[in-house]
Amino acid sequence: MDELGALLDDIVADVDSVFLFSPSASVHESFADAEPPVVVVAPENAVDAERYVELPLEFRSLRERIRFGVEGGLDDGYLEEGDQVGCAAELFADDIDTVTRVRAGDFDHSGVYGLFVNSRADPEVIRNVFEVAIELGKKGQKGKRVGALFVVGDAGKVMNNSRPLSYNPFEKSHVHVGDPIVDVMLKEFSRLDGAFVVSDAGKIVSSYRYLEPAAEGVDIPKGLGARHMAAGAITRDTNAVAVVLSESDGLVRAFSGGEIVLELDPEEY
Amino acid sequence: MQSVPEQFEGLALDGGNLTLAVALVVGGLAVWGGTVWIVRRVLLRVGVDEAVEGTAFERAAQGVGSSTVGLVSQVCGVFLLLFGALYVVETLDIAPSRSLVFTVNQFLARLFVAVLVVIVGVLVGDKAEIVVGERLRSVKLPEVTVIPRLVKYSVLYIATLVALSQLRVATGALLIMLAAYAFGLFFLGGLAFKDLLSSAAAGVYLLLVEPYSIGDEVEIDGSRGIVQEMDIFVTLVESDGEEYLIPNRKVLRKGATRVRG
Repeated sequence: MDELGALLDDIVADVDSVFLFSPSASVHESFADAEPPVVVVAPENAVDAERYVELPLEFRSLRERIRFGVEGGLDDGYLEEGDQVGCAAELFADDIDTVTRVRAGDFDHSGVYGLFVNSRADPEVIRNVFEVAIELGKKGQKGKRVGALFVVGDAGKVMNNSRPLSYNPFEKSHVHVGDPIVDVMLKEFSRLDGAFVVSDAGKIVSSYRYLEPAAEGVDIPKGLGARHMAAGAITRDTNAVAVVLSESDGLVRAFSGGEIVLELDPEEY
Repeated sequence: MQSVPEQFEGLALDGGNLTLAVALVVGGLAVWGGTVWIVRRVLLRVGVDEAVEGTAFERAAQGVGSSTVGLVSQVCGVFLLLFGALYVVETLDIAPSRSLVFTVNQFLARLFVAVLVVIVGVLVGDKAEIVVGERLRSVKLPEVTVIPRLVKYSVLYIATLVALSQLRVATGALLIMLAAYAFGLFFLGGLAFKDLLSSAAAGVYLLLVEPYSIGDEVEIDGSRGIVQEMDIFVTLVESDGEEYLIPNRKVLRKGATRVRG
């Protein structure tokens, strides 16, 4: 099978940088003296790599995972625009079984990395909100599909750009997204209309909130409803990030700066 | 030919006492086994085996093929056996003097408590080190590893002190050191954490009553803006150009103005 080996050589020929996705310690060890140093992309830095990009979500799709890793590499200065990147990742097995090559900057810079790392809210908080949204998208509420809108970060400004639809169920409560009991509460309250407002530190400030941002000039794809429009508009007016679970197509979308930066199918997680 | 009882004649110091002593040895062995079993059951039921998991002591105990629970119950058993032996000696009256038996008895009791205190001290010290270390793991600072070790040695120090004073060893100097250490810890620590403590006390009130909440416009001590975040120590207020980090004690001391929108 020399031909296959040659093909592999072609793929990895003169790459500027190597990205290892969730490598085992032994794999990472074998790259110890590599020049330039490899970049490890994983949910946690288990191998104590010097150059490391944290994956906030377990992206099932390899495309998303690589895209996130490369954007993170660009953001952290491990990569230059136009660099050739060799990526080794797992696709079918639990360890690395796939090698591919991308050019940094081939993806349009979606800001999915910045969504987690450069937002006002803590990355942990945004991740927890995603998890809640994905969970909600998977199971629905009592078997029925639900929609939900979470506005995360810059809560003071968001509260001033919105009004209550009724009494706030979270008034004088001190629950944070990620607390075990919260999943159930959010599931129940998602039946109510309106948005959830979450502060930078993850405190659930309010639900049942009617957002009142100026929606002129918000450009989101046609066919998405009022919930997405409101999410796009509030993230343009404030420094918040919005995570929307669509009731009609069941996808989870994230907005930042008025634009969609990430689209996920809950069924894939 | 002598009969068998005649052969044993004269062996017993006092016939009644020998029977009693044999009964005591047999009973002592039974009580020993029972104690080991009961102590082990009680310790397991209380959940000691889970609590000590991962401590250096447990690992050392497992290294010699035992466990903490096994070791503690064995220690209890051995001491009980020693007490039993002492009692037998007393009944048989083979000790040089009664006061010696009494002294040894007293000393054994103190030694038993001292050994238990040391074991518990080592266990608690190990466990405290693990718990504190886990709490501090999110703080990414190499120097912070000193704190769990400090906690461990403080516990060990106190345990040693208690054990030594049990054995009637002069511990005056060590006690003075402990006093100085405690004084430094509480007095200087209290001084250092004074502001944090008073902020936390105010923060509890603010979080419970919530006189203002996230999104309200407030003015506290000349800083006016929208409340972005409240936690137990500080309130984060943000205006167009500035972010103010206001300690909660300041909110109570100076009062807060809520601006009606």
